Amino acid sequence: MLSTMNTLLVSDVTLTFGGLHALSGISLAIKPGLITSIIGPNGAGKTSLLNCISGFYHPTQGTILFGERSLTHAPPHRVSSMGIARAFQNIELFGGLTVLDNLMLARHRNLRYGFLHALIYQGKASRSEAENRAFVEDIIDFMELEPHRKQTVGSLSYGVQKRVEVARALTMAPELLLLDEPMAGMNIEEKEDMVRFVIDIQKERHITVVLVEHDLGVVMDISDEIYVLDFGELIGSGRPDEVARDPKVVEAYIGES
Amino acid sequence: MSANRWLATGNFFSSYREEQRIFATHFDRAVFAVFILALLVWPMCFEVSNKYMLVIDNIMIAMVAIIGLNLVTGFAGLISIGHAAFVGVGAYTLAFIARQMGDSHILITHFWPGMLLLCGLVGALFGGFVGLPALRLKHLYLAIATLSFQMIFQWTINFLPIFNQGQTISIGRVQWFGGEVARSDHYLFWYYVILIVVIMCGLAVRNLLRTRYGRSLVAVRDNDRAADAMGIHPGMTKVFAFALAGFFAGVAGGLHAYLYRGAGIESFTLHQSISYLAMAIVGGLGTLTGSFWGPAAIRLLDLQVENLVEWSARFMPANMNLATALKPLTFGLVIVLFLMFEPRGIANWWRIGRTYVKLWPFRY
Repeated sequence: MLSTMNTLLVSDVTLTFGGLHALSGISLAIKPGLITSIIGPNGAGKTSLLNCISGFYHPTQGTILFGERSLTHAPPHRVSSMGIARAFQNIELFGGLTVLDNLMLARHRNLRYGFLHALIYQGKASRSEAENRAFVEDIIDFMELEPHRKQTVGSLSYGVQKRVEVARALTMAPELLLLDEPMAGMNIEEKEDMVRFVIDIQKERHITVVLVEHDLGVVMDISDEIYVLDFGELIGSGRPDEVARDPKVVEAYIGES
Repeated sequence: MSANRWLATGNFFSSYREEQRIFATHFDRAVFAVFILALLVWPMCFEVSNKYMLVIDNIMIAMVAIIGLNLVTGFAGLISIGHAAFVGVGAYTLAFIARQMGDSHILITHFWPGMLLLCGLVGALFGGFVGLPALRLKHLYLAIATLSFQMIFQWTINFLPIFNQGQTISIGRVQWFGGEVARSDHYLFWYYVILIVVIMCGLAVRNLLRTRYGRSLVAVRDNDRAADAMGIHPGMTKVFAFALAGFFAGVAGGLHAYLYRGAGIESFTLHQSISYLAMAIVGGLGTLTGSFWGPAAIRLLDLQVENLVEWSARFMPANMNLATALKPLTFGLVIVLFLMFEPRGIANWWRIGRTYVKLWPFRY
């Protein structure tokens, strides 16, 4: 399994908005099968980096490779078809649709039938919908969303919406999952649940996870590898214990020591 | 599946295919079948004057158009202020052929179902083309782009001699199994044709909305950034929505031209476009049933106000001008009232009514 999975290679990526350097010369490698965290103070460029990977921004300089394929200039719908899914920091669900429809939307690429089949809704269309529904139900089961299946997303609580957001990314059956602060704004109980989900995603579903998170306790506990950003620059990387001892990281977080 | 498929109680699904059904119970299906049957049978039971049949035909043509408008504005969230122009494209496709080949050419009189389809396809072509700015523009800016199409359309029809400069271009009577449809049967004949078209469109859209195509429309409305991340091309989906709307509008235009046996610019003006938008809003944006309620409500209201004006003119002939002003006034008032008090439209009343009836004998 691991041998067939791709490494995400970010090399020398610079992103500028006018004179502002959001990212400058970032190079990192996301190894398959691990939980890799990206941390840093507010405004360090974590979300910008995720946006570059998932295609919402394109780096001013540098390249991003996923296995053999280049993501540098790919639009989001191309990136997602390569097996990279993303859960957003600010919930970006389809508010007017049910949880089920939100997840079915994530199967858009896997639903294979023509327009005329869709109009009649017989044969291929009906079969394909049912097959993908089975896949969606598997994810609903995995993320424990059964009670909310038929509720519109807009009516759900914040914690559940966050879970739907992660579930939707998972439904795309990605190789690599980008999680942008999946635990922000949650209470301790919801946070514990989410940590458990993240670990299960890696261990049971064998999906590489990239985690952007502010809660250092969580990050230190579950990450295999950590990259630390500050002011758009990479200031440290390594295993959690190494990063925690790195004087530059300590300085960025606590101030001068 | 439970033993008794007539009742909703104790009815459960044991496969996803079963859950896909539109009608959960046999009872729902039977009610729908009886309803359709009633629509087919009632003109044979009652004597309906041509005047009222024309009103009904008109309402149903508007339903076809509004189904399209609802897809683009209600489901995909793209305001289209040029819908009457798309209807016009359909009507003028037919008119163009009539003018080139003669108004009773065999294509028009014998192959009219094919012509209706052609009107739809030409409408879809124009819809897709006008939708192209959606690749770049959003919200009101896109609405202005559709408005510009309305203007260009009116200008083109009004100035080009091939379109008779907006004057009516006549279209011949159609043939039905060897015989020409007689003058006295004209409106009844088209009632049945339009009814079948409405039913087909309704079912097709109902199906479309529960597939990847329908869902992607709602996805670009609710959050086109996230839709992009789901592997949906937001721009192409919007163009697709416009093409769909154009198709239904085109078919409606073809029906309109056949029904009036001609096409003239006055039926496809900006005023009509706004009126279509009003129908969609009053019916309920983003609902399929709204596409049926809206046209019925607005057109019947128009008719009632007209009757009221005629009636009042008998008592107060001096105030005739005031009475005539009543029509646009009530029209505007209804839209404002709906926007204020029931932005989800009549479809929402229908939904509430249905839920009430569902629980009716056992209220908790």
